[in-house]
Amino acid sequence: MSHLHIPDGILPGWLIMSGWLLTALILAFSIYRTKSTELKRKIPLIGIISALMIVCMTIPIVPIAYHINLSVIAGIILGPAVAFISIFIVDLIIAMFGHGGITVVGLNTVVVGAEAFIGFYLFQLFMIIIGRDSIMWSSGLAAVIALIISTSILVGVVYMSQVNPEIVIGIEGDNPTEVTNEGNIPDQLIKGINIKSFAKTILILLGIGWLLEGIITAFIIKYVSRVRPDLLFPQRT
Amino acid sequence: MDVAIIDYYANHGTSFLHKAKALWKIMFSALVIASIILTNEFYMLAGIYIALVTIAIWTKLPVSRIITIAAYPAIFALIFAFLVWNGSWVKVGVVVLKALAAALTMVLLIVTTPYPDVFNVLRPFLPRVIAEGLLVTYRSVFILLELTDELMKGLKVRGGLTRRKYLRNIKNFSSGIGLLLVKGFDYSEKFYGMMNIRGYGERIAAKDTKMSINRNDLLAILIGLLIFAIVITTVIDKRFLEFSIYIVACSILALVASAIYKQFVS
Repeated sequence: MSHLHIPDGILPGWLIMSGWLLTALILAFSIYRTKSTELKRKIPLIGIISALMIVCMTIPIVPIAYHINLSVIAGIILGPAVAFISIFIVDLIIAMFGHGGITVVGLNTVVVGAEAFIGFYLFQLFMIIIGRDSIMWSSGLAAVIALIISTSILVGVVYMSQVNPEIVIGIEGDNPTEVTNEGNIPDQLIKGINIKSFAKTILILLGIGWLLEGIITAFIIKYVSRVRPDLLFPQRT
Repeated sequence: MDVAIIDYYANHGTSFLHKAKALWKIMFSALVIASIILTNEFYMLAGIYIALVTIAIWTKLPVSRIITIAAYPAIFALIFAFLVWNGSWVKVGVVVLKALAAALTMVLLIVTTPYPDVFNVLRPFLPRVIAEGLLVTYRSVFILLELTDELMKGLKVRGGLTRRKYLRNIKNFSSGIGLLLVKGFDYSEKFYGMMNIRGYGERIAAKDTKMSINRNDLLAILIGLLIFAIVITTVIDKRFLEFSIYIVACSILALVASAIYKQFVS
């Protein structure tokens, strides 16, 4: 889980707009790339993977506030371009359930999309290095590393949220704490997030989750490779 | 989160929000979300949240269930609020209320509007693959829920999920998800094939897509506009914030009156 469960109105507007813009650009590229392949044939697969992600995302593991994403599985099965489309659909639908803000959908898609992208390429790499017989290790390791990287992106996004250009304009003299709230940002963000404590808490909370998701991904991929290998090894976008 | 229950609520309600068209309800939601984004005042957010609970009562649906569904983001909002803790409980309240109010706005939309109607409004702004993907995903969620129910029963009956056998449980659970994926894909492919054979032509049929406006639509949009107007007034001129406590009081009054009306009259 590297979802931004941040409500609407907390992150600065420029960051939210950047997320939407980046998502629109990647979506346009993904659709452009996918058009050459059998896009129509992939729609049922997009539907079922997205639905599976939704079902899994809505089951929280309460003590550590974690939920599995299956985004790496989406990346491995759909390929990074189609997985990005699937992740956008998932984020849009779960935002309608109030699971994270609707304005944060763009940023969420970028962060979770990165997970699928990294997971896909790492899986391919590990399949070459470790070999096709160790599909469990390849997928599990790819999932854990992709989750670590995407969580780092999440921490980066939250860190960026406190360097709002509008706030920087308000800094007077040498005292960086005396700032004016010209950007309609909650005061706690103006005083700054303690990024170290944020990163520490996130990493401790999510560490167990990464391992769990890595194991689950490995077993799912192993199962699918036995039953429907054509889903894992077709020509991907 | 029970997707099936939400879908049932959306399709079987009789309130004014159920009767209002999806387009106007989306506009109502957009206005309320914009208000939540614009204000950082605790009392204003509390007023909006109480107003939304009042609207939840008007939907004639189980209010506690709706509030529970919309309360899920509060867990994460609390974590975030304490991470940015600066010693002020009011600020924690602001973050949590923003999450709760935004989530309740979206939940109110989906418990009163069938998903295909929402997608139909969004369709002109979305590429075909995403619009179709939304529809197939929506359909697939229900296929998966049915399959998940069968799978969990099967796993329990055959001893697939037992106490203290954590690794075995994870293995069986994961294989189960793999099975869901494979089965679900087969079902979804058949469903999509059937849709095409039956003449699906890149458009989801909705009840009413006309731009006409009836009194239910008008009421929905007026409530949204009222909330937005109050918030924007306090944002433009901070002096109006002095009255925010009265806004909360009015919201509470409306909530109590609605609750009493629901309890004794309807």
